[in-house]
Amino acid sequence: MDMEQQHTVADKLKVSPFLVFFLIHSMQVGIGVLGFQRIIALTAGYDAWISVIFAGLSIHLILWMMYKIAETVNGDMVSIHTYIYGNKVGKLLSLPFVLYFCLIAVTIMNGFIEVIQVWMFQDLSTFWFSVAFLGLAIYIIYGGFRTVTGIAFFGVILPLYLIFTFFFTFPYADFSNLLPIFDHPIKDLLKASKNMSLTYLGWETLLFYYPFIKDPAKSKKWAHGGVMFTTILYTLLTVTTFAYFSEGQLQKNVWATLTMWKIVQMPFVERFEYIGIANWNIVILPNVCIAIWCASRVLKRTINIKQKKGVILVSLVCLVGANLFKSRNQLNALFTLSGLIGFYLNYVYIPLLFVAVMIIKKVKNQ
Amino acid sequence: MKKIIISFFIAALLLCGCVQKEILDDVNLETGVGYDLVKEKIRGTALVPVYQPDKSVDNKTFTASSKLSRDFLNDVQRQSPDPIVTGSLEVVLFGKELSERGILDLIDSFQRDPSVGAGLYLAVVDGESKKIIQGNYGNRGTAIFISNLIRHNMLTKDVPKTNLQLFLSDFYQIGKTSYLPQLKKKGKNQIMISGISLFKYGKVVDTIPGNKMFFFKLLVDNYSEGTTEVKIGKEIAAIQSVQSKNDFKLSRSPRNEVDITLKINAILNEFSGNKVTKKEVGEIEKKFKKDVERECMQMTERFQKQKIDPIGLGHFVKSKTRNFDIKKWWREDYPKLKVNIKADVTITESGVIE
Repeated sequence: MDMEQQHTVADKLKVSPFLVFFLIHSMQVGIGVLGFQRIIALTAGYDAWISVIFAGLSIHLILWMMYKIAETVNGDMVSIHTYIYGNKVGKLLSLPFVLYFCLIAVTIMNGFIEVIQVWMFQDLSTFWFSVAFLGLAIYIIYGGFRTVTGIAFFGVILPLYLIFTFFFTFPYADFSNLLPIFDHPIKDLLKASKNMSLTYLGWETLLFYYPFIKDPAKSKKWAHGGVMFTTILYTLLTVTTFAYFSEGQLQKNVWATLTMWKIVQMPFVERFEYIGIANWNIVILPNVCIAIWCASRVLKRTINIKQKKGVILVSLVCLVGANLFKSRNQLNALFTLSGLIGFYLNYVYIPLLFVAVMIIKKVKNQ
Repeated sequence: MKKIIISFFIAALLLCGCVQKEILDDVNLETGVGYDLVKEKIRGTALVPVYQPDKSVDNKTFTASSKLSRDFLNDVQRQSPDPIVTGSLEVVLFGKELSERGILDLIDSFQRDPSVGAGLYLAVVDGESKKIIQGNYGNRGTAIFISNLIRHNMLTKDVPKTNLQLFLSDFYQIGKTSYLPQLKKKGKNQIMISGISLFKYGKVVDTIPGNKMFFFKLLVDNYSEGTTEVKIGKEIAAIQSVQSKNDFKLSRSPRNEVDITLKINAILNEFSGNKVTKKEVGEIEKKFKKDVERECMQMTERFQKQKIDPIGLGHFVKSKTRNFDIKKWWREDYPKLKVNIKADVTITESGVIE
């Protein structure tokens, strides 16, 4: 068919394969980590750590499919769509992704603003904070995809020390909370896995920055490594949480991860949550940057808006979106919505794409 | 570029005044609080340290009564020149009458407040908590004094591990009930830990006296330390547990028996007799073992009768049983549960003299 559609990226704009590790991991870890334990324990009790591992493993399968698809069409999501549906319909069907990534950016940003408002400053203005945060994101994205990747790199490395703070909970941990293992039916475990998959979301962005990876075949192991690192981290966090809280107590805490920091006491800081939450800014910054970058990239590829303009446009949409959701209930609805869309996108739509691409490839080869 | 820089500075200027500042010198740090039940209302006494130029600490207290504990804080705010903040709360005391009526509503506010730490100490007072809060105990401030008192007794003596987190964790644990240390005013400016208050649904139902705390700690804590006395005939020996470990075992079928093995490594601190020979040490060991078994046995029987479970036997059985039925456990199984206690005592040292 038409080869002029192949959108190529100049080599100097590409990133090294190993950086995919940070891109994927930083996008996966966002606002969900702060409170996912309660939600998975609600369905699968304290067996839910099995669901964490299971959901983590399932990602590798989808990731494998994603690489197969991307290799076949040698391009990003828009190329995949044009490959399957043809030029016009393909581009039209790619447009909803702009909204999806706006939704992701708003979800993450609002989730974080809510945390600041509840834990630190009740009177923090949602509007001004989102203005400042989006301004920063625009500034980073103006540096190009390589800068976004750099932020993702630091977004993983700098807050990594936070892992050690969870050792403070060990003197109060009771690991017999986790016994007996497999006390819940498989059905509940699967349900919890589905809920858990929402916390893992974010690796689907790979299909959007795929053309920006130098030597994509080499990046495979790093992508899988990034997902595995997230899985290990989440599993350890889940087990630590379950040992620290009794089951009834966990259900009371909306942000279990933050509540665990309440026990941390150091000579120079009375309450560690404040440092932790401030640090979380660095954790969610790459999330918002990558999401907005993806949205503006799709705009550029489909309706030919310059990315610099696209970023502003997307950020404005995010700014409006961020100020629409304010109360606990609205935010909960927002989280559920973006989680559901993300789930069906990753676990239903991508496998369907995989099947379609494989069939078309066979047909074309004949 | 210039525009961006200018707009950035404008945004920064606007953002400056966004949130409420809390400067340490301009707030009153509430370090301790005591609650009592007075005329069907909850009376709270907040303790605020005032730091003097000569580095000593004055204790200022504010008192107010209300139905809700948060209301109490509002009333207290109206008496204070600077805003009172709860960020560095160290101890919370509950008066006797109130703790027998239930303290759950009050605990809820500490759990809900993000600025309150999980390492907070809770304690029940034998009498009125206001009297303890208003006392003067040394120049580091009352709250620091009480929290140090509890901490040191917890780390090296007979008080079992306790803080807000452990209390809540036990409270919400299936098959476990919570406990708190009990304080008592001794003289005008003296307080002491007088026992352990045992809770049932947030109400104190029983108290373990101070001289039995050693045995209680053996049952509930791993690696406990503490001191107790052993009487042999006319002589008395003081025994210090250096290390202990409790091990629970559930019988196979029928699963209605729990074996508790207490492994204790102890040293002999003091002996009123003339000589400490191998024979004497053996005798002391034997007597000590018997004492531990008897006291712990009495304690577990007492718990079963009152349907409280500070040891967490229900939690233990749950961790060994699939499809554990907690309602049936409290109603039928727990009162009938057979608890066997075996102490395994080794006296390793008897001091620097022979």
